[in-house]
Amino acid sequence: MSKEPIAVLNQVSYMYPRSPEPVLRDISLEVYRGEFLGLIGPTGAGKSTLCLTFNGIVPQFFGGRFFGSATVAGLDTLDHAISQMAQHVGAVFEDPETQLIATSVENEIAFALENLRLPREEIMARIKPALAAVRLEGTEKKHPHELSGGQKQRLAIAAALAVRPDLLILDEPTSQLDPVGAQEVFATVRELNKELGMTIVMASHAAEEMAEYADRLALLSHGSLEALGTPDELYAQVERLHAHALRPPQVASAFYLINQAGIATPTTPVRLEAGIAALDALQAQHPAEPPAALPVPAPHDGAPLLSVRNLKHTYDDGTQALTGVSLDIREGEYVLIVGQNGAGKSTLVKHFLKLLTPTEGTVTVGGADTSTLTMSELARRIGYVAQNPDNQIFNASVEEEVAFALRNLGYPAPEVQARTRESLEAMGLWEQRAIHPLALPKGDRARVVIAAILAMKPEIIIFDEPTTGQDYRGARYILDISRDLHRAGKTVIVITHHLYLMPEYAERVVVMGKGTILLDAAIRPAYHQLDLLRSTFLTPPQAVLLAQELSRRDGREFPLLTPAEVAACFTAGGKGGAA
Amino acid sequence: MSMMRFQTVERDSFFTRLDFRPKLVMMAVITIIAFVLESPLAGGLLAAAVIVASLLAGVKVSYIRMVLTVMFPFYILLLLTHGFFNIDQVKSLTGRTELTTLFMFPRSWPLIGGGRMSVEGLLYGLNVIFKTLTLTLVVPLGIFTTDVDKFIVGMVRARVPYKLAFIFSATLRFVPLLFGEIQAIIEAQRLRGLAMEKMGPIQRVRVYAKVAVPLILGAMVKSQMLEVVLQSKAFTGSPDRTYLHESVLGPADYAMMAFFALLFVAAVVAYFWLGIGKFGGPI
Repeated sequence: MSKEPIAVLNQVSYMYPRSPEPVLRDISLEVYRGEFLGLIGPTGAGKSTLCLTFNGIVPQFFGGRFFGSATVAGLDTLDHAISQMAQHVGAVFEDPETQLIATSVENEIAFALENLRLPREEIMARIKPALAAVRLEGTEKKHPHELSGGQKQRLAIAAALAVRPDLLILDEPTSQLDPVGAQEVFATVRELNKELGMTIVMASHAAEEMAEYADRLALLSHGSLEALGTPDELYAQVERLHAHALRPPQVASAFYLINQAGIATPTTPVRLEAGIAALDALQAQHPAEPPAALPVPAPHDGAPLLSVRNLKHTYDDGTQALTGVSLDIREGEYVLIVGQNGAGKSTLVKHFLKLLTPTEGTVTVGGADTSTLTMSELARRIGYVAQNPDNQIFNASVEEEVAFALRNLGYPAPEVQARTRESLEAMGLWEQRAIHPLALPKGDRARVVIAAILAMKPEIIIFDEPTTGQDYRGARYILDISRDLHRAGKTVIVITHHLYLMPEYAERVVVMGKGTILLDAAIRPAYHQLDLLRSTFLTPPQAVLLAQELSRRDGREFPLLTPAEVAACFTAGGKGGAA
Repeated sequence: MSMMRFQTVERDSFFTRLDFRPKLVMMAVITIIAFVLESPLAGGLLAAAVIVASLLAGVKVSYIRMVLTVMFPFYILLLLTHGFFNIDQVKSLTGRTELTTLFMFPRSWPLIGGGRMSVEGLLYGLNVIFKTLTLTLVVPLGIFTTDVDKFIVGMVRARVPYKLAFIFSATLRFVPLLFGEIQAIIEAQRLRGLAMEKMGPIQRVRVYAKVAVPLILGAMVKSQMLEVVLQSKAFTGSPDRTYLHESVLGPADYAMMAFFALLFVAAVVAYFWLGIGKFGGPI
C-alpha cells in the first residue's frame, strides 16, 4: 500500500435538500492507492452519504448544500459529471436486487461500459476477466434471478470492476446476505485488494471481518469523522465503540473485560489469531479455570405446543425443500433456527402458519392438526414478524394497523379497542397511535408490526430474520423485545444468521441444512459443534472459538458462549458465569 | 415465474438465430395474409404452417395446447354464430342466393325452432378460427424465439428511443420482484387474520387497494435507489452509447425478408388474380 492518495476529501460538509442538519460534517480524509479503508458507524452516521460523495452523486444528483471539496483521481467531483466520475469510481450497494438492472449477467457487466461508449470488442474483452475476478465464470447468459444473493453481489462487484475504476466503493454489501454469501463477498473483495491492488472503501457492520481485512478504519458518528486508524487501534477502543452504539469484535470485547477486571494485557487483540496468540501470555500469568456454573435454561416439560412429524415438502418446480423433518417445540421455549438460504428454514416455518401445506407428514399446533385449522385460526395462535416491516404495514394509522387483525378475526368493537390499547401500551406506542406507521423510524415500524401481532395474543411468536440489514443497536432492540415476550411466557422462535447475537436470548438451537434438521440441541452444546456449524457455513462466535482453544490447551471443557464468559474464566477463577 | 425469461424458447434454431427485424416482417406479412384469406382451406394451411414453424422453433407443445384450450369455447362460439347467423356476408362472398343447409331445428322448438346451420357459414367460421389461431401463434413465434438483448437492440435499430427500450428491459427485470412483494404483502395480511377465501369481490378489491400502499411506497424507495445505481453506472439516458449485442442483418435475415416480401406479393397475386384464398375459390 502506497501513501499516494487516490481520493481526497477536504473539509466536506453536506446537507440533503430537506435535511434539517448536516449529514456530513467537516470531513477531511485521504484514501491511499491500494488500501482497504473500512467505514464504520451506526445507522444514520453518514456512511452511505460519504460513499456517494466519492462518485459525485452527492451532491450532483441529490442537490442540497455541499461545502469543501472532494477529488478522486485528481478530478473534482463538483466539476465533473457523474458519468465521468463513474469511470474512476465503481460502486456496489446493499440491496442485491435493486442494483442489478440487466436481464443477463453479461449485460449487467456491459451496461456501464456501453454507457461509457466503449467499442463492442472492448466490452466483450472485459466481460470474462471481470467474471473471473469474482469467480462467476460461465454464468454469462444467466438471468440475475438465477443467482444466489452472494453471487448477485459478486456480479455487482464484477460490473463495477469491468470499468477498471481507481476506487471501488462498497456500501454494506453483505448485510442482506446469508453467511455463505457474506463470506463469498468478503473473500472476493480481499482478493481484489491484495492481489490486484484495487483500492477499496467499504462500509460494513461486520466487525470481525473488518478487523481481519481492512488496513484502516474510519469511524463516523453523526456525520463527523470521529476517529481514523488501523483496526488494531480502533477496535481496541471498546468503550469508544460502545459510546457510538458499535459492536467491537468479540476477541476485543473479551480482552477488554479481562483488562477491566485488573488483569493487564500488553494489547487488546482485535483479530481471532492475535487473540489466540495472546492467550499464551495470559494463561502463563493467570491460568483459566472452567466455569463452575453456567446459566442453564429452565426445563420445558409438558406436551409440545408445536409438533412436526416427518414433514416433507416439494415445490411445484420439483425442489425438495424439506426431506423429512420432525420437531417438537414446547410452551415457553426460545428456539433459534439457523441455516443457509435454501436450508429449508422458511419452508418449515411457513408450514406452521399454513402458508404451505405438507407434501407428506403432519404439523400440529396445540394438538390440532393444521390441516383442520384455517389460516385465521392459526394466526390467533402464531404471530409472524417478517423481515421487512414495511411489507406488513397497510393502514393509515398506528392504531388502525393494530386493530386490523382484530377486526378481521371478528372481535366486538369494545374488545378491539381494549386489546389495541393494551398492545400499543405494551410496545410504548400509545402516544403515536394517530401517526401514519410509515412516518415512524424503521425500528418503531417493526414495533408497530409486533404490536399488531401481540394484539391477537398469540402463544407463539416467530421472528423471521429480524436482524438482517440492522445495525447492532437495531438488532439488539428487536431481540430485546423478543426476550421480554419470552419472559412474559410466550414461546419464541427466531430465524437468524447472526449466531453471535443470540447467546443472551436463545435457549435451544435447531440447525437446518439441505431440507433437514442437522442438529437440535441446547444453545451451549450446539454452538460448540464447530465442524457441524462450519459444514453448513455458519460462523461460530469468536468467544466460542476462544473457548475451544482454551479447552484444547487445558484438556478441560470450557463451554463458553460470550466474551464475558471467556473473561470470567480468567478474572473470577472460573467462578463467574455472567452472560 | 413465467416473466423471468423473455425468451421462453431454449432450443437453438434457425428462428432464434434470426435478427428481430425479419421476424417483424414475418409477423406483419403473415398477419396481413391471415386477415385477407377467406377460404378455410387456405387459412387452415397457413395456420398449420405457423404451428409447424412454431414447433420447429421450439415453442412448447404445452403452450400451443394451452392456446387451443383457452380459445376452444371461443372457437365453438365462432362456429355457431357464423353457422347460424352469418348469412348475408357468406351469401355475398359465395354469390349464392341460398345457402346449403346442414341441419335445422324443428320449428316447434321454442326460441331456436327454425334456426338453420349452413355449410358455407360453418366453413366461414372455420376460416375465422384459423385466422385467430394464426394471429395468436405468429406473435409468440416471433417473440419467444428472440433473446431480450436482440429485441432491445432491434428496437433501437428500428428507431425506438433508447429510453423507451431501456424502460422495457428494466420492466422485464423488475416485474418479478414486484410480484414477489405483492405476494409478501398479501401473506402478511392473511397472517393477520384476513380470510380472503371467504370474501366477496368488493371486499377483495379493498384488500388489493391496501396492498397498493406499501407496494407503491416500496416502489418509490426502490426507484430512488435504482436511480442512484444507474447514475453510478454512467447512465444518462442518451442514445449515444454502444451495445454489446449487435443487430447486424446476415444473409439468412435478408433471405427471410426477401422470402416474406415475395410471399406477400405471391399472396396478393394469387388472391386477386387467381382467386386462391377467396371464399369458394380453388383453394
